[in-house]
Amino acid sequence: MLRVSKLVKRFGAVIAVNNVSVKITQGEIVGLIGPNGSGKTTLVNLVSGFYKPDGGRIIFEGVDVTKKGPDERLKLGIARTFQIPRLISNMTALQNVTYAVVGSRRFGEKKMTLMEAAAEALYYLDIFGLLRKRDVLCRDLALYELRLLELARALATNPKFLMVDEAMAGLNPAEADSVAKLVQRLREEFKLTIVWVEHVLRVIMRSVERVLVMNEGRLIADGTPQEVTRDARVVKAYMGERVVV
Amino acid sequence: MVIRLEGRRGRLIIHLFKRRFEWTVEPRYWRNPLLAVALWIGLPLLIPFMPRGLPIGPSTLITSLFLANVVAISAMAHSLQTVGTGRLNFGPQFFIVIGGYVAALLSKNYGLGPALTFPAVFAFTALLGLALSPLTIISGGLYFTLITLLLPLILAELVFWRADIFGAETGIPGIPRLVSTGNIMRDYLLCFYLSLAITLVLLIIIDKVLRSRWGFMLGVINEDEEVAASFGIQTKKIKVVVFTLTCGAMGISGWLLAHYYGSFAGTMWLEPWLLVFILLSSVLGGKATIYGSVLGSYFIVLSRTILRAYIKETALLVLYVVLLIALYSMPEGLWGLYRKTKYREYVPVIRVRRRVGEVA
Repeated sequence: MLRVSKLVKRFGAVIAVNNVSVKITQGEIVGLIGPNGSGKTTLVNLVSGFYKPDGGRIIFEGVDVTKKGPDERLKLGIARTFQIPRLISNMTALQNVTYAVVGSRRFGEKKMTLMEAAAEALYYLDIFGLLRKRDVLCRDLALYELRLLELARALATNPKFLMVDEAMAGLNPAEADSVAKLVQRLREEFKLTIVWVEHVLRVIMRSVERVLVMNEGRLIADGTPQEVTRDARVVKAYMGERVVV
Repeated sequence: MVIRLEGRRGRLIIHLFKRRFEWTVEPRYWRNPLLAVALWIGLPLLIPFMPRGLPIGPSTLITSLFLANVVAISAMAHSLQTVGTGRLNFGPQFFIVIGGYVAALLSKNYGLGPALTFPAVFAFTALLGLALSPLTIISGGLYFTLITLLLPLILAELVFWRADIFGAETGIPGIPRLVSTGNIMRDYLLCFYLSLAITLVLLIIIDKVLRSRWGFMLGVINEDEEVAASFGIQTKKIKVVVFTLTCGAMGISGWLLAHYYGSFAGTMWLEPWLLVFILLSSVLGGKATIYGSVLGSYFIVLSRTILRAYIKETALLVLYVVLLIALYSMPEGLWGLYRKTKYREYVPVIRVRRRVGEVA
């Protein structure tokens, strides 16, 4: 479904993503982990079109999307959520999902009226239990609700491939478990392929089938959760080297 | 019967052929735009019957109302531009003056009347807007504001440099008037009503756009352009279209000025006061709300006329102090102040039953 080859992104002298090549097949749920500053979110930004790569190619369903903008990629079926919720705070929960419904209409599809789009948006809010909050401004929502709204907004674009960027950051264990169950449910009900960037390893390790590990902009491990946790490079990246003084 | 009126519990129902229009006449629901438009159209008709000997004459008052419409057209276009591009244009008077010069030069050199210069002005200023529209993509924030601030300055220099074409301070005389009936007062009134018609048409168009899904998308672009793009909104295309068309609308203000006064000196309209009036109309009217822009324009232009008539030399000083106090004391603007007094919102609400066994 998605093939990333030799992807490079530099910010001045810092190489945030260094020669990363990954292949994601349809229907997979893949965890993307790594220490802070390892380049996970930059990789998500590159795939979603937020950043332009300095090298490499991104192929999605056989289409080279490397030079396409985020709006074009979204229409092809690539959606994402943000690490720090980026919702429009002056708009209600319903409006925040409605613009995703309006914007995601593919070329040649029948144009929707605002009312039709709002009706469809209600369906997505309902899935995430946010129906009662539909008329609440985003700036008045709790973090947990914002995380759910991020997911609802991404789902409203009718994606094929969803990148979930740290959906559990700042949540308590019960809320994190609830979000994890929801992500699993989305995959099954909507036949999604999911890349899940996360720091909460406890949850992600039991929720995904394959884990990619990044460190200092490079991909250092790719395998099942069990294989990855035993990988010496991963242990070193997270725990550091043993030094005997 | 073609038209049939029917009164029903505080409502007036107008049957026109097979269509039905309903108007709530109960005073507590008086937010009806029809009433406001009726007053807007009707009150100026009383101006010729004003008592003589007042510091403000009827012609001065009508000219002020005309100028208020000119400012309102630019302020509405400017508000839409600000919403749709997410950028603050500090050079609306550049497009107004370009519009004025196009009308003046076409009239002078080719003998075209107002009816023919109108589409030409709109097309030319819109094309100029299209040529400058990449600025909305490659620059933002303070850079965009500074670039647009430079445009009128460049034009002012050009006007002086090519005085043979633009006439410098003297301007271009001999432009055909908008209307010429032989009665000055009637001409003034007709010009005012023509400018009012353009203002109303633009108001309705912008209102329709802002209430549609396009308006909704413009709002998202204004709030967060990156989010808009990442949720499928074609930000670049929309910004270019909005910038182009609103520049065309600003050009129409120049067309009105050129054909109203019969001569056009761009240097007069390139001065900062026009920019300040347009910006203040949007802000004081109600933070880039379209109806607020019209209210703001009328408030500012009429305040200037009244102050000029009564206190003469210090009129502008007092006007700016009044505007400063108004800005400070009314952050929600005139339109916001009006809306605050109404307890009932007319936004449709969708009622949906919750599903049993809702997740999370």
